[in-house]
Amino acid sequence: MRALLALVWIYAATPVAAQSIIVSDAPESVSLTVYRAQDRGDRPIDPNWPRGYALITETRTISIPAGESVIRFEGVAEGMFPESAIVTGLPQGVREKNRDARLLSPSGLVDAFLKREVTLLRTNRATGVTREQKAIITAGPHGGVILQTAEGYEALRCTGLPERMQFGGVPQNLSAKPTLSVITQSNEATTAKLTLTYMASGFDWQANYVAHAKPGDDKAIGKNKIDLFAWLTLANGGNQSFQNANMMAIAGEPNRERRPEQARPVGGGLSLACWPQQRTHQVPFNPGFIVDIPPPPAPPAPVAMAAYADENIVVTGQRMARAEMAAPVAVMVADQEDLGDLKLYRVPEPVTVNAKGQKQVAMIVKPGAAFDRIYKVRVDEYGRNDGASMPMSILFRGSNRKEKGLGLPMPSGQVMLFEDSNYGPLLAGQSTLSDRAVGDEIEMIVGRSSDVRYAVTRMSETVEKQRFKVDITNARSEPVNVEVEIPFELRGKPKHIAKVDGIPTWKATIAANGEATLYYELELEKN
Amino acid sequence: MRAAWLLLAGGALAAPILAQDATSVAVPGGATAQGDVAVTIYQNGQSLIQDTRRLTIPAGRSKQEFPDVSAQIRAETVTLTGPGIGIVEQNFDYDLLTPAKLMEKAVGQNVTLIRTNPATGAEVRVPAKVLAANGGVVLQVGNTIEVLRDDGLPVRVIFDKVPPNLRARPTLSVTLEAKGGVTPTTLTYLTPGLGWNSDYVTLFDDAKQTIDVQGWVTLTNNTGTDYSNANVLLVAGNPNGGGGRRNYTTPWNPSTGTIDQPGTESSNRERLGDYYLYPLAERTTIANAQQKQVSFLDVKAAPARKAYEFNNGWLATNDAASASSVLKFSTSRSGGLGDQLPAGTMRVYMRDKRGDPQFIGESMIEATPMGSAMSIRTGDAFDVKVKTVVEERNRISSSRWQTKMRYEFTNARNEPVTVDLGQEGLWGDVAIIAQSQEGKRVSADRVEWSVAVPANGKATLTATFDSRY
Repeated sequence: MRALLALVWIYAATPVAAQSIIVSDAPESVSLTVYRAQDRGDRPIDPNWPRGYALITETRTISIPAGESVIRFEGVAEGMFPESAIVTGLPQGVREKNRDARLLSPSGLVDAFLKREVTLLRTNRATGVTREQKAIITAGPHGGVILQTAEGYEALRCTGLPERMQFGGVPQNLSAKPTLSVITQSNEATTAKLTLTYMASGFDWQANYVAHAKPGDDKAIGKNKIDLFAWLTLANGGNQSFQNANMMAIAGEPNRERRPEQARPVGGGLSLACWPQQRTHQVPFNPGFIVDIPPPPAPPAPVAMAAYADENIVVTGQRMARAEMAAPVAVMVADQEDLGDLKLYRVPEPVTVNAKGQKQVAMIVKPGAAFDRIYKVRVDEYGRNDGASMPMSILFRGSNRKEKGLGLPMPSGQVMLFEDSNYGPLLAGQSTLSDRAVGDEIEMIVGRSSDVRYAVTRMSETVEKQRFKVDITNARSEPVNVEVEIPFELRGKPKHIAKVDGIPTWKATIAANGEATLYYELELEKN
Repeated sequence: MRAAWLLLAGGALAAPILAQDATSVAVPGGATAQGDVAVTIYQNGQSLIQDTRRLTIPAGRSKQEFPDVSAQIRAETVTLTGPGIGIVEQNFDYDLLTPAKLMEKAVGQNVTLIRTNPATGAEVRVPAKVLAANGGVVLQVGNTIEVLRDDGLPVRVIFDKVPPNLRARPTLSVTLEAKGGVTPTTLTYLTPGLGWNSDYVTLFDDAKQTIDVQGWVTLTNNTGTDYSNANVLLVAGNPNGGGGRRNYTTPWNPSTGTIDQPGTESSNRERLGDYYLYPLAERTTIANAQQKQVSFLDVKAAPARKAYEFNNGWLATNDAASASSVLKFSTSRSGGLGDQLPAGTMRVYMRDKRGDPQFIGESMIEATPMGSAMSIRTGDAFDVKVKTVVEERNRISSSRWQTKMRYEFTNARNEPVTVDLGQEGLWGDVAIIAQSQEGKRVSADRVEWSVAVPANGKATLTATFDSRY
């Protein structure tokens, strides 16, 4: 990898620095460990503004001249937390570490050339002749620029004439982007292999599960086998790409503290407060991190009433050839290892993490996990829908244990559930999953069934008790397992309602095209 | 609405009556990289796209790009399958090429400036180096530093090349391992913006007490992408559990109240888990920003009856108010529509004296199993009214009251009607100690009476309630 020994062209009036400036423009090798956004839970990543962070370790080889030199690091993630940066491998260590956020920009130039001479070029629109004039910047850049010319004092570009300034050189302390630099000392000219480690915002990752549910082998009611596949989905919201990176992801929640106030980048466009003013700048001021326009969503189209009666096609059956598999075949799967109390996923081969890109690598391939299909409701909102028939939730319940076909850490993420149809496997439910450790119960609510329904009716009420009826109807042509949770203290401790995790729960199998009715009584507090 | 009107006016018509509009079938934009596309559309506005493309894949490892996917693709849901294909990684890159981005990525590089003389139009080419782009582009031109277009004069900036990784559109690419050769690969992903709903056109015949019901699927494509010559499959259901553990409480959206008694019959329609499938018989093109209607149900002369309902929420005096007009029917195989109904809107029409159908009201219906007893509230009845009067209110003890209610029914129609009166607000411990007609206590909170009202006549019901407080 190139390391540039740049002979910096120094503005003539600046005192000549005794330092040589070395620009290291790109790393040779890079490792990227991505941590999830805190408190995002099982909500999806926002790819345009990933809220997690990454630990980035880079190696760079540079040539260091004898004496004191400043090494500037370019090609780093712009979300860098400069306070987290560590540079090792310099022969005599780091004397000073700086992050310069004074930006080379129109206002930065004016600031640097305050009380100095610039060249003013004025163009006559009618003749096209450009007149050159010397001027001294008297005031600026905030609130406008005042120039002293041979004719007196003037405000820049408050004339309505085309005017531009030419500066004699680049001020040394301005940089094109916020830049990390270190000052080091060397007794002799040498080549050093540096390691730069830092944390940066603008990254995030999650798991995306593809679950393919199939009927179980033993044909028992509600027993399913789920082929579980998961992607490790990683988003880089920044403008920096990482070529051939060793990519890792960490599941778990390392503690993070609030970052103290940072030096904000200064610079940007010139804002001229003139008597009449008419100026705009086309290039937006980029403070160093993702202020980009997100990919444009398709414009919402007006409802086209004209197209309403375009086609009349009667719906009948027709077989279509579609994919046989819900999940892909992965040839590269991330390896999982423990890192203290965290879980680390390592992508086995170097991969390229593109700027503003989302990347997916397989992380879990686990066919044949045992899950129960249960229709469930918690009856706790009495009165609102008294007697009304409502759909029950479709729940897949499994256990993260080896004997149930799982037994591996499952990071939080989104779940797409596929079931077989005459048209191949199709999406039949969506859910989310929070972090599940080995041994945890796994419950996924994937949708609601319009065919398996319940209705709660308050039959009677006295001072001591309320009597309820729950009607369950099953319009499916197969028996189903239902569970009704009653999160209240029941009267008379009925035998057919057992407590599950402290909540009275009625479990029953409803026959194909059958019905069932549950009665129970709640104890009321006497007042 | 045009299709619905023609069908109503024409009576028995299920066959296509409108010739396909040629303009609606044309594919705007011409060639597409899409292959054989199957679109599965759900009722929550999500769709599953299965796009089978025949790709010529080199042996070993290669990177394949997939243009012409939905503009709103949910990239994290992408799956690529095919014979002999193994996936290494998938990338979705959305670093888009814009003028600002082009300039930002040109920092440190040489460009060519072409200055145009405002008076003469003469052009001067000047080499320049981009030093920074922070709220204005700082250039090095020769030995001087200046800001691009600082004076507002025309300057063209010519770049040698477009930086890599900047794209016109978000791009999906998959790195895969294959044996090589022409391979049918299926790209599967979810996209929002494509949804469907059902619309029911119900023609009620008051004399025969029957209904003709036609179900129409209304498809709407707002994905920003056309799906050409696609196999379309509709799934009646919302496959979204919305979360994990302990999220199976009562759905927040209240019941539509259209199911009196849920059915337990199963139809012969194809299924996917708990959902019913409605495949379209022929391939069709779903153009962007298009709404398309397809028929899925056509039932003639199913028995139905008109009823009147009146609900009184509290034991209170109210002015005469209209009862609701209700249409009651069944979705049962025998004596009903004989199908389950996907969620949608049911619009009810009746013929006027000239025989033209007129709209009399509509109601949302939820997904309804086959065999259900249904009530569609179409609106208020102009001629059938109920007045509620508190006749007496007596304190019996320190904590008990007796309320005598009188319900006055009026019927200005020249036929007798029956009004189903529901009195709510009984809180379980309210007892009915006297009533002029036997009612039915359907729940702790509610009692119902069916009251016959003669043609152009009146009827009165009285009931005495014993309540706390």
